Amino acid sequence: MNDQLNDLFTLLPELLLAITVLAVITVDLFLPASRKWTLTPLAIFGMLLAGIGCWLVWGVNDTVFAGFYVVDDLSVFFKAATLVIGVLAALFVPSYLIQRRLPLGEFNAILLFSMLGMFVLASSSDLVTLFLGLELMVMPSYLLAGFHKTDRFSNEGGLKYFLLGSFASAILLFGIAWTYGLTGTTHLSGIGTGLLDRGAAGLVTIGLLTVGSTFKVAAVPFHYWTPDAYQGAPTPITGFLSVGPKLGAFALLVRLFVDGLGGLRADWLAVMAILAVLTMTGGNIVALVQVNVKRMLAYSSIAHTGYIMAGLAAFAAAASPDVQRQGIEAVLFYTLGYGVMNIAAFAVVGMLQRDPDRFGGLSSFAGLAGRSPGLAAAMAILLLSLTGIPPTVGFFAKLYILLATVDAGLAWLAVLIALNAALAAFYYLRVVVYMYMREPEDEPATVDRHPFSSLALVLSVAGVLLLGLFPEPVLSLVRTSVGSLF
Amino acid sequence: MTGWPILSLIVFTPLIGVLALLFIPGDNHRAIKGVALVAALASFVFSLRLLGYDTSGAEFQFREDYDWIPAFGMGYRMGVDGLSVVLVLLTTVLSIVAIVYSFDPIKTRVKEYYATMLLLMVGMLGVFVSLDLFLFYVFWEISLIPMYLVIGIWGGPRRIYATVKFVIYTLVGSLLMLVAILAVVIAHGNDSGTFTFAYEALRGYPFADGLQALAFIAFFLAFAIKVPMWPLHTWLPDAHVEAPTAGSIILAGVLLKLGGYGFLRFSLPLLPDAAVQFAPIVIGLAIVAILYGALVSMVQPDLKKLIAYSSVSHMGFVMLGAFVFNEQGLSGAVFQMISHGITTGALFLLVGVIYERSHDRMIAHMGGLNARLPRYAALFGLFTFASIGLPGLSGFVGEFLVVLGAFQYNGWVAAATMLVVIFSAVYMLWMFQRVFFTVPSGWMRRFWPTLTDMSRTEWLSIAPLIVLVVALGVYPAPVLDLISAPMQRIIEAVSGSGGLSSLGLPW
Repeated sequence: MNDQLNDLFTLLPELLLAITVLAVITVDLFLPASRKWTLTPLAIFGMLLAGIGCWLVWGVNDTVFAGFYVVDDLSVFFKAATLVIGVLAALFVPSYLIQRRLPLGEFNAILLFSMLGMFVLASSSDLVTLFLGLELMVMPSYLLAGFHKTDRFSNEGGLKYFLLGSFASAILLFGIAWTYGLTGTTHLSGIGTGLLDRGAAGLVTIGLLTVGSTFKVAAVPFHYWTPDAYQGAPTPITGFLSVGPKLGAFALLVRLFVDGLGGLRADWLAVMAILAVLTMTGGNIVALVQVNVKRMLAYSSIAHTGYIMAGLAAFAAAASPDVQRQGIEAVLFYTLGYGVMNIAAFAVVGMLQRDPDRFGGLSSFAGLAGRSPGLAAAMAILLLSLTGIPPTVGFFAKLYILLATVDAGLAWLAVLIALNAALAAFYYLRVVVYMYMREPEDEPATVDRHPFSSLALVLSVAGVLLLGLFPEPVLSLVRTSVGSLF
Repeated sequence: MTGWPILSLIVFTPLIGVLALLFIPGDNHRAIKGVALVAALASFVFSLRLLGYDTSGAEFQFREDYDWIPAFGMGYRMGVDGLSVVLVLLTTVLSIVAIVYSFDPIKTRVKEYYATMLLLMVGMLGVFVSLDLFLFYVFWEISLIPMYLVIGIWGGPRRIYATVKFVIYTLVGSLLMLVAILAVVIAHGNDSGTFTFAYEALRGYPFADGLQALAFIAFFLAFAIKVPMWPLHTWLPDAHVEAPTAGSIILAGVLLKLGGYGFLRFSLPLLPDAAVQFAPIVIGLAIVAILYGALVSMVQPDLKKLIAYSSVSHMGFVMLGAFVFNEQGLSGAVFQMISHGITTGALFLLVGVIYERSHDRMIAHMGGLNARLPRYAALFGLFTFASIGLPGLSGFVGEFLVVLGAFQYNGWVAAATMLVVIFSAVYMLWMFQRVFFTVPSGWMRRFWPTLTDMSRTEWLSIAPLIVLVVALGVYPAPVLDLISAPMQRIIEAVSGSGGLSSLGLPW
């Protein structure tokens, strides 16, 4: 009995989040329309409680529920990062929804469910839990992509996301089945050794797992669902979709490839490195020709996926554990930094998108610096961070990835990352050009100012700068959490 | 004042100015200009303190050393040697010149303009005083963005093309340099067990040959693009033509020096073996740059483009001097950087003066200005001669020393560069003649009645440069004293790896 209580204690963040979902759904029923906005503070309050929960289970490092669930510092870090993104999403989205008379209560509940999925995913130490968490994360995401149900683009995006996502899940599940068939176990700790020296069957298994999971992070060539899903979804929600499920998918990659298949890393190193290169280059090149900022950000998020995957490749290529750790640390730091800057960048696009016909085209940014200097400055900082210019978190994250790849002996990969970053500067800075160097169009789109969004924007810009200038506290968290893997 | 963090004060005083600007309403132009000037002046006054630098030692002085991101061995490490001192002073002086000059011409987005200029100062000054490769890189990139905005917002008709080209060129080089920095740091960390970005720990460390060669190429790209060296110079004419006058002053005066400084501070001392190995190639490129810049200058119809290409030629001298690895060459390279900063800055300013009056920079659209603007003509003449390298003005000292250094290296190299002194007389004097002495063009006649000679602000802004160009030409010793010990140190580093004497030229 005591044991089970102990197990439940380690689930504190999950439980608090689950209670928050229920609270949001219940309260939503009794609130008049004019007071629905109070659901946002409620959801955020719940997330903050879950954050305290995370703080309490930090350092517990325990495997619970008969080895199906692991609460180590790595999982706690992912959960905390999820909460950061969740709070920002909960703040950024409401103004857009209120504007278009979309239901706020359902949004908050779905968002929280999706986050709960990420929690489970991050903590899974078994393929079954892993899949469970994954589906709990992506099912709500499909709903979020199609959240604007009277808008056919949103419908299209949601449907495409759902179909291709399910396809990917099926492939992953197939891989899991093969794994079980070959090894007789679904425990992550057992599959690595079980798949050793299995010849072609082992490779097929690893291949299926790789394809399924890289589908989820939207790596090239499995990225085709991303642009449509991202473009169709309500813009601030796209921000969440581009970072939240991505964070979860990287938690999956780390769990599966480092925890599970770490011993077989020589087998997947080449694939991961090549996918990383394809992903960053492909994403950047296509982003280069986009004239729609929303779509440009969607493709650029693919490029960022490529950089993060390079961290995994660095893990696989490194000889000593110290260097291996750096790869994973870089992945963690990058996903967090990317999460903050990307969700905010999408949100700014959303703020300029009052008029439903105008879809975040570049021209809506023209002359923004004159009309709304604060917003333009914030967007400029976010774009510089996405480019990787110091002193921002984007720079430090990229530096971390470069450091890990160079240290692991993948200097060629580092050079490709550097060239890609320069390529990305071209399209990110184009938005700055429009904001600062062009005259506004005749009837400029009005800027949507909601206190929630403004607060979230201030928070994320401050985060981008502070994490760039003083990354040390987060770095030590990252190091401790990766330490629990080794 | 010994206990004061003087370098931080120099670097970050302009930043305080930026913060102060945030609280001033955008239409109060007087206050904005005042704050910007005071911030730049304060930084300049602090930088004067560096003249107390003890020239007897080559060690870094005015040190500041704090941990920043200890997990990676990144520190807030600052210090200066003579090389940094002269460049810091050049930067603070030219920034004041640029800010004062901008008082009249800049009429749109005034507040943003001065904030950007001050931010640019932070980046440039930071580069010159950083003794940590990470800190250096951060400042290096910080100096990029404000110039991007200056050209892109306050520039000419093709400003967006020019500024994007400038940024992309620079970013490609600097990102590759970042990879090289990491490679060097990691190699040092893995061998010695301490992971650090500290410049002094890395300097003199025997890196493997292959790593040196690759890292040298990456550093070379970053710095050579900035210098800019032929054939990586193509962004420069575009950037100069489109940049507002003050932007051109800073771009030619200081930003190009970041490249030269990078070679002297990082490429040579950190990677001496590779530097020696690549020296013949770099010298070859430098000679091409010197000749090419001069030849192309001759045919430029646009005053600004002419001066921009002459910069390519002059900066070629810097590269040549830096890579012959002897005291005359290196001192000449540094002196040439300072002198080029002063003369070219002044020339761009003077081009701005006429542009403000006639809204055109085509040489064909001028002529006969000597009759109408005698003082302006005299000033322009002074700096034309300084640019040609007339003895008694600063331009002479640098070129002379570089040629002297080149002569010790190889007589033919020196002979080839001497040729350019003739070319530069041709393009500068011919330009001067067409602008000031021939019959006024039809275009210029339209402005004839309203043409006024130099205004008070224009005089004020150029005054420091007039003093410097003469003073350094007559008495260059203070600068040469300051840089002699650091240059000696570079020579030791390079000759430790065999020196150049063992190498002949391939031709």
